[in-house]
Amino acid sequence: MHNSNCTCWNCPAIDLKGKVDFRACGQSTTEFGKKKDETSEVYIMAECKRRPELGLFDPMSITFEDCPQWQKTPYGYLLKDMRVMILGIDGYLGWTLALWLGSLGCRVSGVDNYNRRKWVKERGSHTVIPISSMTERLHSAKEVLGIEIDFREIDILNEKERLKEFIDEVKPEAIVHYAECPSAPFSMIDVDHAIEVQKNNVLGTLGLLFIMRDVVPETSLLKLGTMGEYGTPLTGRPIFEGMFPADAVLHWDGREWSLGGELTPRDPVSFYHVSKVQDTFNVYEACKYWWLRSYDIMQGVIFGVHTDQVSADPRLRTRLDIDEWFGTIINRFVAQAIVGIPLTLYGRGNQIRGFIALRDAMECMTRLIACPPEPGQYAVVNQISGVYSLRQLAYLVAQIGRKYFDLDVQVQRVENPRVEADEHPFEALYEKLPKNYGFTPKVNIAKEIYRMFELLSKPQIRERIEEKKHLIIPKTWWSGVKREVKRLELLDLKEEVKEDEERYKIYQR
Amino acid sequence: MKKDIRFTSANFKEEVLESKIPVLVDFWASWCVPCKMTEPVIEELANELKGKIKIGKLNVDQNPKIASEFNIGGVPTFILFKEGKVVKRETGARSKQQLLEMIKEAGISI
Ligand SMILES: NC(=O)c1ccc[n+]([C@@H]2O[C@H](COP(=O)([O-])OP(=O)(O)OC[C@H]3O[C@@H](n4cnc5c(N)ncnc54)[C@H](O)[C@@H]3O)[C@@H](O)[C@H]2O)c1
Repeated sequence: MHNSNCTCWNCPAIDLKGKVDFRACGQSTTEFGKKKDETSEVYIMAECKRRPELGLFDPMSITFEDCPQWQKTPYGYLLKDMRVMILGIDGYLGWTLALWLGSLGCRVSGVDNYNRRKWVKERGSHTVIPISSMTERLHSAKEVLGIEIDFREIDILNEKERLKEFIDEVKPEAIVHYAECPSAPFSMIDVDHAIEVQKNNVLGTLGLLFIMRDVVPETSLLKLGTMGEYGTPLTGRPIFEGMFPADAVLHWDGREWSLGGELTPRDPVSFYHVSKVQDTFNVYEACKYWWLRSYDIMQGVIFGVHTDQVSADPRLRTRLDIDEWFGTIINRFVAQAIVGIPLTLYGRGNQIRGFIALRDAMECMTRLIACPPEPGQYAVVNQISGVYSLRQLAYLVAQIGRKYFDLDVQVQRVENPRVEADEHPFEALYEKLPKNYGFTPKVNIAKEIYRMFELLSKPQIRERIEEKKHLIIPKTWWSGVKREVKRLELLDLKEEVKEDEERYKIYQR
Repeated sequence: MKKDIRFTSANFKEEVLESKIPVLVDFWASWCVPCKMTEPVIEELANELKGKIKIGKLNVDQNPKIASEFNIGGVPTFILFKEGKVVKRETGARSKQQLLEMIKEAGISI
């Protein structure tokens, strides 16, 4: 198991006792040249909240493998009945993770204020996969999967006291923080939207950090960032996982320094992405000042509709959006294919991005929850399972739609409303999850797209796509202009669609 | 962290000060990102130089007395010991190459 050798030093069920002095980051606590004070004899000891009978002990002396509270699951050892709180539990990922963790035996609690439902409604759109109200969701989770979820409607930005009380009551052993506005185009609509996104994301997260400091400093925070924080460096230098490795050396003026552990440059591509970069620094500082522990997860674009739990009953489905603001690319392509709108590539269409399927993202989150960072540790992972050019994906969606669903799928290039490189090198590293956390991707991209076609072609969902299809082609320009983008070219698919089927091991009926 | 490269107050005298071969100690902390990034390099070097030089890590928060004895004011700090004496020390992240040079400069043949 990837976390067999973790010790109580990592464990959220431990209270640290003794000389716990974390003001000393990079500073010495003792005055140089003076006699060492008496207290420096006192060491940091562990006290287990789950097994108080152990008394005080060396926090590195017991491993997860040896501790009966950590129990084997397919994704590593997990604390028995681990208390996990999901902020943003009503969202695309939050709801999916709640059911996923619940079925692994975690005690799931969650918070949401339905911002996402409101934002989508404000744009005149809707989720094309119908979702139930939270009350019905909770009821169905219990009825169908036997999962009990402790939910509170709380706005994490404006109701900090209530959030603090809830966290204090539940004492979560991990907090997954999804509760942000996830949309770049939404943040580019106008000044009000830019401010709303930055305020909600940056200040919501900042408030949470203070609450964690005061109430649950030993709990691990899994905070969602995005691969978009890095941008796409045109030199082609690798996109590291947050920080430079120890062997990255800066040469200048005939001298050299190790860059090891320094944050790599960020080059966000919208005001939404800027909010994520600001979060990165706030979380990084909170770990440094207060010994909080966090994974900052640079997540790629998610696609897909399936986990065993959300597919178990129509009332348990998670949302899926296709409009220009909230529809992520593969999800939107499939919807376009179904209602006969040529798939839209912006500009040259050769942008390259990292992607990961919904189910695989859930597995990654679980493996990280299972392996909490050490006190004060700010860790970053790039959470993607593959890298594709958008053109390649459009062809793949077109190919599957044509071949298996008898749809006349077209692909078009349109003006690019964003300010981004649409032809660029891209070498993203994503080695930590496989190497350190035992993750191997399980979802075949072509199979998941096939599955999406199956689900979205159902008459009721198809009808919901038809109703909102006028919201797919973008009208939000980064420049501030408001007009629909114009078509540049309809692509000839005959050549492209002959692409090697084997490469994706396309689903055979 | 692998157990065999963990120094503590309990084993510091025996493992470091009384060691027959030179010892490189990486004074680190879990909140120190550069320390974390140096971890794989330290593990690699510890394996490669086994028998010639002992390489291990000491957590400054868990072992404050030793950290203050050696006036650790920033982490990571690397200190090379030979026959119980400090022969070289450097602070700040180091690449593998830089650590190898540090060892060579101290006149230790590897
Ligand atoms: N879906 C993706 O492709 C993707 C990719 C990279 C990163 N992310 C990040 O992952 C996280 C979750 O994404 P998602 O796709 O599930 O988005 P989502 O909008 O479906 O989920 C976010 C949830 O948080 C809630 N929320 C927002 N502000 C809140 C507040 N102030 N108080 C309480 N609840 C609030 C929303 O109502 C929503 O239910 C986001 O941080 C997003 O930026 C998503």
